[in-house]
Amino acid sequence: MKQSLRPPYLATAALSGALFGAGLYIAQMTNPLKVLRFLDFTAIPTGGWDPSLALVMGGGLIVMLAAVQYGKRMERPLFNGTFHQPEYNHIDLPLVAGSALFGIGWGMSGICPGPAISLLAFLPENIWVFLCAMFVGSYLGSFVMKRIPREVVPA
Amino acid sequence: MDSFTPVTALIGGLLIGLASAVLWLGNGRIAGISGIFGQLLPPARTVVWRLVFLAALVAATFLTAQLLPGLGPKPELVSAPPSSDIPTPIWIAIAGLLTGFGTKIGNGCTSGHGICGLARLSRRSFVAVGIFFAVAVLTVTVTGVV
Repeated sequence: MKQSLRPPYLATAALSGALFGAGLYIAQMTNPLKVLRFLDFTAIPTGGWDPSLALVMGGGLIVMLAAVQYGKRMERPLFNGTFHQPEYNHIDLPLVAGSALFGIGWGMSGICPGPAISLLAFLPENIWVFLCAMFVGSYLGSFVMKRIPREVVPA
Repeated sequence: MDSFTPVTALIGGLLIGLASAVLWLGNGRIAGISGIFGQLLPPARTVVWRLVFLAALVAATFLTAQLLPGLGPKPELVSAPPSSDIPTPIWIAIAGLLTGFGTKIGNGCTSGHGICGLARLSRRSFVAVGIFFAVAVLTVTVTGVV
Protein backbone atom coordinates (compact mmCIF):
# COMPACT_ATOMS: atom_id res chain seq x y z
CA MET A 1 0.00 0.00 0.00
CA LYS A 2 1.28 3.40 -0.88
CA GLN A 3 2.52 5.40 2.11
CA SER A 4 0.17 8.29 1.36
CA LEU A 5 -2.88 5.99 1.44
CA ARG A 6 -2.18 4.49 4.88
CA PRO A 7 -4.65 5.38 7.66
CA PRO A 8 -2.16 7.29 9.90
CA TYR A 9 -1.09 9.46 6.95
CA LEU A 10 -4.70 10.26 5.98
CA ALA A 11 -5.71 10.81 9.63
CA THR A 12 -2.84 13.31 9.97
CA ALA A 13 -4.02 15.12 6.82
CA ALA A 14 -7.58 15.24 8.23
CA LEU A 15 -6.39 16.53 11.63
CA SER A 16 -4.27 19.19 9.98
CA GLY A 17 -7.10 20.31 7.68
CA ALA A 18 -9.52 20.45 10.62
CA LEU A 19 -7.16 22.54 12.76
CA PHE A 20 -6.59 24.82 9.78
CA GLY A 21 -10.32 25.35 9.17
CA ALA A 22 -11.06 25.95 12.87
CA GLY A 23 -8.18 28.42 13.05
CA LEU A 24 -9.35 30.34 9.99
CA TYR A 25 -12.86 30.69 11.40
CA ILE A 26 -11.82 31.60 14.96
CA ALA A 27 -9.44 34.23 13.58
CA GLN A 28 -12.30 35.41 11.32
CA MET A 29 -10.02 35.15 8.29
CA THR A 30 -13.08 33.54 6.62
CA ASN A 31 -14.46 37.10 6.40
CA PRO A 32 -12.99 38.82 3.31
CA LEU A 33 -13.93 42.24 4.65
CA LYS A 34 -11.83 41.69 7.79
CA VAL A 35 -8.82 40.76 5.65
CA LEU A 36 -9.34 43.87 3.50
CA ARG A 37 -9.52 46.02 6.64
CA PHE A 38 -5.98 44.83 7.40
CA LEU A 39 -4.76 45.51 3.88
CA ASP A 40 -6.32 48.99 3.89
CA PHE A 41 -3.40 51.03 5.23
CA THR A 42 -5.23 54.24 4.29
CA ALA A 43 -7.36 53.62 7.39
CA ILE A 44 -4.35 53.82 9.74
CA PRO A 45 -4.54 57.62 10.25
CA THR A 46 -8.30 57.49 10.85
CA GLY A 47 -8.09 54.65 13.39
CA GLY A 48 -10.17 52.29 11.25
CA TRP A 49 -7.33 49.87 10.53
CA ASP A 50 -7.67 46.24 11.73
CA PRO A 51 -4.25 44.73 12.61
CA SER A 52 -5.74 41.27 13.40
CA LEU A 53 -4.18 39.51 10.39
CA ALA A 54 -0.68 40.33 11.67
CA LEU A 55 -1.44 38.42 14.87
CA VAL A 56 -2.81 35.46 12.88
CA MET A 57 0.42 35.30 10.86
CA GLY A 58 2.54 35.82 13.99
CA GLY A 59 0.76 33.09 15.94
CA GLY A 60 1.07 30.66 13.04
CA LEU A 61 4.73 31.47 12.52
CA ILE A 62 5.74 30.94 16.17
CA VAL A 63 4.30 27.41 16.23
CA MET A 64 5.68 26.48 12.80
CA LEU A 65 9.16 27.89 13.59
CA ALA A 66 9.30 25.57 16.61
CA ALA A 67 8.01 22.63 14.54
CA VAL A 68 10.63 23.16 11.81
CA GLN A 69 13.42 23.25 14.41
CA TYR A 70 12.07 20.10 16.07
CA GLY A 71 11.81 18.42 12.66
CA LYS A 72 15.52 18.96 12.04
CA ARG A 73 16.25 16.53 14.87
CA MET A 74 14.00 13.85 13.35
CA GLU A 75 15.36 11.45 10.76
CA ARG A 76 12.09 11.55 8.89
CA PRO A 77 8.45 12.53 9.51
CA LEU A 78 6.34 10.13 11.57
CA PHE A 79 4.35 8.70 8.64
CA ASN A 80 6.50 9.37 5.58
CA GLY A 81 9.97 8.46 4.35
CA THR A 82 11.14 12.02 3.83
CA PHE A 83 10.36 15.70 4.41
CA HIS A 84 9.08 17.15 1.12
CA GLN A 85 11.07 20.36 1.23
CA PRO A 86 11.45 22.55 -1.86
CA GLU A 87 15.15 22.58 -2.75
CA TYR A 88 14.95 25.22 -5.47
CA ASN A 89 16.34 28.44 -3.99
CA HIS A 90 16.57 30.99 -6.82
CA ILE A 91 14.66 34.25 -6.87
CA ASP A 92 13.30 34.07 -10.41
CA LEU A 93 10.76 35.85 -12.58
CA PRO A 94 7.85 33.41 -12.00
CA LEU A 95 8.24 33.83 -8.22
CA VAL A 96 8.25 37.62 -8.42
CA ALA A 97 5.53 37.97 -11.10
CA GLY A 98 3.35 35.26 -9.56
CA SER A 99 3.48 36.81 -6.10
CA ALA A 100 2.64 40.24 -7.57
CA LEU A 101 -0.35 38.86 -9.53
CA PHE A 102 -1.57 37.01 -6.44
CA GLY A 103 -1.22 40.29 -4.50
CA ILE A 104 -3.54 42.01 -6.98
CA GLY A 105 -6.15 39.24 -6.71
CA TRP A 106 -5.90 39.23 -2.90
CA GLY A 107 -6.27 43.01 -2.73
CA MET A 108 -9.29 42.94 -5.09
CA SER A 109 -11.18 40.32 -3.09
CA GLY A 110 -9.70 39.88 0.39
CA ILE A 111 -9.60 36.15 -0.36
CA CYS A 112 -6.49 33.99 -0.43
CA PRO A 113 -6.63 30.24 -1.20
CA GLY A 114 -7.21 28.94 2.39
CA PRO A 115 -10.20 31.16 3.12
CA ALA A 116 -11.47 30.56 -0.44
CA ILE A 117 -11.86 26.85 0.36
CA SER A 118 -13.19 27.46 3.87
CA LEU A 119 -15.93 29.73 2.48
CA LEU A 120 -17.57 26.55 1.11
CA ALA A 121 -18.86 26.18 4.68
CA PHE A 122 -20.99 29.32 4.19
CA LEU A 123 -21.59 29.37 0.41
CA PRO A 124 -21.79 33.17 0.08
CA GLU A 125 -22.89 34.61 -3.27
CA ASN A 126 -20.21 34.40 -6.01
CA ILE A 127 -17.98 31.94 -4.10
CA TRP A 128 -18.24 29.42 -6.95
CA VAL A 129 -17.21 32.13 -9.38
CA PHE A 130 -14.07 32.74 -7.31
CA LEU A 131 -13.26 29.04 -6.81
CA CYS A 132 -13.79 28.07 -10.47
CA ALA A 133 -11.69 31.04 -11.61
CA MET A 134 -8.97 30.10 -9.10
CA PHE A 135 -8.97 26.53 -10.41
CA VAL A 136 -8.73 27.72 -14.03
CA GLY A 137 -5.98 30.20 -13.08
CA SER A 138 -4.01 27.47 -11.33
CA TYR A 139 -4.36 25.20 -14.36
CA LEU A 140 -3.21 27.96 -16.73
CA GLY A 141 -0.27 28.55 -14.37
CA SER A 142 0.84 24.91 -14.49
CA PHE A 143 0.47 24.99 -18.28
CA VAL A 144 2.75 28.04 -18.50
CA MET A 145 5.30 26.67 -16.01
CA LYS A 146 5.68 23.43 -17.97
CA ARG A 147 6.88 25.53 -20.91
CA ILE A 148 9.37 27.63 -18.96
CA PRO A 149 12.49 25.75 -17.89
CA ARG A 150 13.41 27.16 -14.49
CA GLU A 151 17.08 27.74 -15.33
CA VAL A 152 16.45 30.24 -18.13
CA VAL A 153 14.27 32.69 -16.25
CA PRO A 154 16.50 34.47 -13.74
CA ALA A 155 14.98 37.69 -12.36
CA MET B 1 -9.82 50.16 16.00
CA ASP B 2 -13.23 48.75 16.97
CA SER B 3 -12.77 45.83 14.62
CA PHE B 4 -9.40 44.68 16.09
CA THR B 5 -9.83 41.21 17.64
CA PRO B 6 -6.40 40.37 19.10
CA VAL B 7 -7.39 37.36 21.23
CA THR B 8 -9.28 35.38 18.59
CA ALA B 9 -6.73 36.38 15.93
CA LEU B 10 -3.89 34.98 18.05
CA ILE B 11 -5.78 31.79 18.96
CA GLY B 12 -6.74 31.25 15.31
CA GLY B 13 -3.15 31.89 14.24
CA LEU B 14 -1.80 29.39 16.78
CA LEU B 15 -4.28 26.76 15.47
CA ILE B 16 -3.19 27.39 11.87
CA GLY B 17 0.44 27.04 13.02
CA LEU B 18 -0.45 23.79 14.77
CA ALA B 19 -2.15 22.55 11.59
CA SER B 20 1.04 23.27 9.64
CA ALA B 21 3.18 21.62 12.33
CA VAL B 22 1.05 18.45 12.34
CA LEU B 23 1.27 18.06 8.55
CA TRP B 24 5.02 18.78 8.52
CA LEU B 25 6.09 16.51 11.40
CA GLY B 26 3.51 13.81 10.61
CA ASN B 27 3.62 13.59 6.84
CA GLY B 28 6.55 15.79 5.85
CA ARG B 29 4.22 17.95 3.77
CA ILE B 30 3.90 21.71 3.57
CA ALA B 31 0.44 23.01 4.50
CA GLY B 32 0.23 25.39 1.55
CA ILE B 33 -3.37 25.62 0.47
CA SER B 34 -2.67 26.81 -3.08
CA GLY B 35 -0.33 23.85 -3.54
CA ILE B 36 -2.73 21.32 -2.02
CA PHE B 37 -5.56 22.74 -4.14
CA GLY B 38 -3.54 23.21 -7.32
CA GLN B 39 -2.18 19.68 -7.33
CA LEU B 40 -5.60 18.11 -7.47
CA LEU B 41 -5.30 18.46 -11.22
CA PRO B 42 -3.69 15.87 -13.47
CA PRO B 43 -0.93 14.77 -13.59
CA ALA B 44 -1.29 14.78 -9.80
CA ARG B 45 -0.13 11.55 -8.16
CA THR B 46 -1.30 11.96 -4.59
CA VAL B 47 -4.85 13.27 -4.72
CA VAL B 48 -6.45 11.38 -1.83
CA TRP B 49 -4.72 13.06 1.14
CA ARG B 50 -5.24 16.47 -0.47
CA LEU B 51 -9.00 15.86 -0.78
CA VAL B 52 -9.10 14.57 2.81
CA PHE B 53 -7.28 17.69 4.03
CA LEU B 54 -9.57 20.09 2.13
CA ALA B 55 -12.77 18.27 3.15
CA ALA B 56 -11.68 18.36 6.80
CA LEU B 57 -10.89 22.07 6.44
CA VAL B 58 -14.39 22.88 5.18
CA ALA B 59 -16.08 20.59 7.73
CA ALA B 60 -14.14 22.11 10.63
CA THR B 61 -14.93 25.64 9.46
CA PHE B 62 -18.62 24.71 9.36
CA LEU B 63 -18.62 23.01 12.79
CA THR B 64 -16.63 25.79 14.47
CA ALA B 65 -19.06 28.34 13.04
CA GLN B 66 -21.99 26.32 14.49
CA LEU B 67 -20.32 26.11 17.91
CA LEU B 68 -19.17 29.76 18.01
CA PRO B 69 -21.69 31.68 15.92
CA GLY B 70 -21.01 34.96 17.69
CA LEU B 71 -17.48 35.53 16.42
CA GLY B 72 -18.44 37.48 13.34
CA PRO B 73 -21.01 38.22 10.67
CA LYS B 74 -21.87 35.70 7.96
CA PRO B 75 -19.05 36.11 5.42
CA GLU B 76 -19.91 37.86 2.18
CA LEU B 77 -17.75 38.47 -0.88
CA VAL B 78 -17.05 42.10 -1.74
CA SER B 79 -18.83 43.98 -4.51
CA ALA B 80 -16.84 45.56 -7.31
CA PRO B 81 -16.08 49.23 -6.56
CA PRO B 82 -18.80 51.34 -8.25
CA SER B 83 -16.12 53.48 -9.88
CA SER B 84 -14.70 50.46 -11.74
CA ASP B 85 -17.78 49.94 -13.98
CA ILE B 86 -17.11 46.20 -13.77
CA PRO B 87 -19.98 43.86 -12.73
CA THR B 88 -19.23 42.12 -9.41
CA PRO B 89 -19.07 38.53 -10.77
CA ILE B 90 -16.48 39.63 -13.35
CA TRP B 91 -14.50 41.43 -10.62
CA ILE B 92 -14.56 38.26 -8.48
CA ALA B 93 -13.61 36.08 -11.47
CA ILE B 94 -10.60 38.27 -12.26
CA ALA B 95 -9.51 38.14 -8.61
CA GLY B 96 -9.86 34.35 -8.58
CA LEU B 97 -7.96 33.91 -11.85
CA LEU B 98 -5.08 36.09 -10.62
CA THR B 99 -5.02 34.24 -7.28
CA GLY B 100 -4.92 30.81 -8.95
CA PHE B 101 -2.41 31.76 -11.64
CA GLY B 102 -0.18 33.85 -9.36
CA THR B 103 0.05 31.28 -6.57
CA LYS B 104 0.78 28.52 -9.11
CA ILE B 105 3.70 30.20 -10.86
CA GLY B 106 4.84 31.85 -7.60
CA ASN B 107 4.71 28.45 -5.86
CA GLY B 108 2.68 29.49 -2.85
CA CYS B 109 0.28 31.73 -1.01
CA THR B 110 -0.31 33.16 2.47
CA SER B 111 0.02 29.72 4.07
CA GLY B 112 2.72 27.99 2.00
CA HIS B 113 5.06 30.97 1.75
CA GLY B 114 3.62 33.08 4.58
CA ILE B 115 3.72 30.53 7.39
CA CYS B 116 5.58 27.39 6.27
CA GLY B 117 8.14 29.14 4.04
CA LEU B 118 9.04 31.90 6.48
CA ALA B 119 9.31 29.34 9.29
CA ARG B 120 11.75 27.33 7.13
CA LEU B 121 13.64 30.64 6.57
CA SER B 122 13.27 30.18 2.80
CA ARG B 123 14.75 33.05 0.79
CA ARG B 124 12.07 32.64 -1.89
CA SER B 125 9.30 32.87 0.68
CA PHE B 126 10.62 36.12 2.20
CA VAL B 127 10.61 37.65 -1.30
CA ALA B 128 7.14 36.26 -2.13
CA VAL B 129 5.55 37.44 1.13
CA GLY B 130 7.06 40.92 0.82
CA ILE B 131 5.75 41.24 -2.73
CA PHE B 132 2.22 39.91 -2.27
CA PHE B 133 1.59 41.91 0.90
CA ALA B 134 2.91 45.12 -0.67
CA VAL B 135 0.97 44.63 -3.91
CA ALA B 136 -2.23 43.73 -2.02
CA VAL B 137 -1.98 46.89 0.11
CA LEU B 138 -1.35 48.94 -3.02
CA THR B 139 -4.31 47.28 -4.81
CA VAL B 140 -6.69 48.06 -1.94
CA THR B 141 -5.47 51.67 -1.94
CA VAL B 142 -5.89 52.08 -5.70
CA THR B 143 -9.23 50.27 -6.11
CA GLY B 144 -10.79 51.49 -2.87
CA VAL B 145 -12.61 48.16 -2.63
CA VAL B 146 -13.15 48.44 1.16
